[in-house]
Amino acid sequence: MKRECFCKWNMSSKNREDAIAELIREFSFQKTTENLLQIALETRELAEPTIVHEGIAMPHCRSILVDDFMIIIGKSDSGIPWPEKTVNIIILFITPVKPSGPSEHMELIKHLAKTLRSGGAEKILSAESPSEAASILKFSYGGNHKDE
Amino acid sequence: MNKELEKLISLHDLDVMISDLANKDISKQEKKLGLSPDSAANELQKMRDELASTIVRKNRDLYEQLAGHYGNAVVPVVNHRCSGCFTQLPTAFFTSQDKNDLVETCPSCGRFIYWCD
Ligand SMILES: [Zn+2]
Repeated sequence: MKRECFCKWNMSSKNREDAIAELIREFSFQKTTENLLQIALETRELAEPTIVHEGIAMPHCRSILVDDFMIIIGKSDSGIPWPEKTVNIIILFITPVKPSGPSEHMELIKHLAKTLRSGGAEKILSAESPSEAASILKFSYGGNHKDE
Repeated sequence: MNKELEKLISLHDLDVMISDLANKDISKQEKKLGLSPDSAANELQKMRDELASTIVRKNRDLYEQLAGHYGNAVVPVVNHRCSGCFTQLPTAFFTSQDKNDLVETCPSCGRFIYWCD
């Protein structure tokens, strides 16, 4: 699986809500879509903070508002409260709702679980560049969507 | 976008999230990541019911009926077609200036429809 991901280095957000918004903005959706995706991801976080490793959060959902995989890796050197524990890396993804069901969504989670559990988590926390972070997760780096 | 339509879309995405967490394979992978899909699904169900209670009765009942029948009650319009039943929508639908300002349903299958970005 070689999916494309964006990266947002040096995130400025100081809390979970702002961090999710900061990353979603990188996808350049219209405002209403941004808001609805924010609600979906935040609701999931309220049900259970998606901390998948010390220092790493993974907000994710499927939504009828996207028609392709939207993946972004965010990094904050100072850390973002999530909200009880601080995270430095955020792997956010939104996958489409397809008639074929959730198998592709499941494959992506499986891929990430396998990669993070086999040393990827430690590696991505010390990744020095967006392209390095993307390659650790075996994604192709699609750039820093807005800034490059 | 019409606020009621936004709620219907959110309700749909929440239902997808809950059904994903109940999916055996997804649940297994979420557990491998250290997450707790079962308790998350329970919490989401409460939030789902809370959201549903704020939706106008008529729309809520129709949503439940459509979701029960088709598995999905809200679909995007793609290339002037309802993406649920693929029926071409009447011209009046896509020439309208106020797309998404009203809660509309597909004249063929009855699903709630919305226009994407
Ligand atoms: Zn239809």
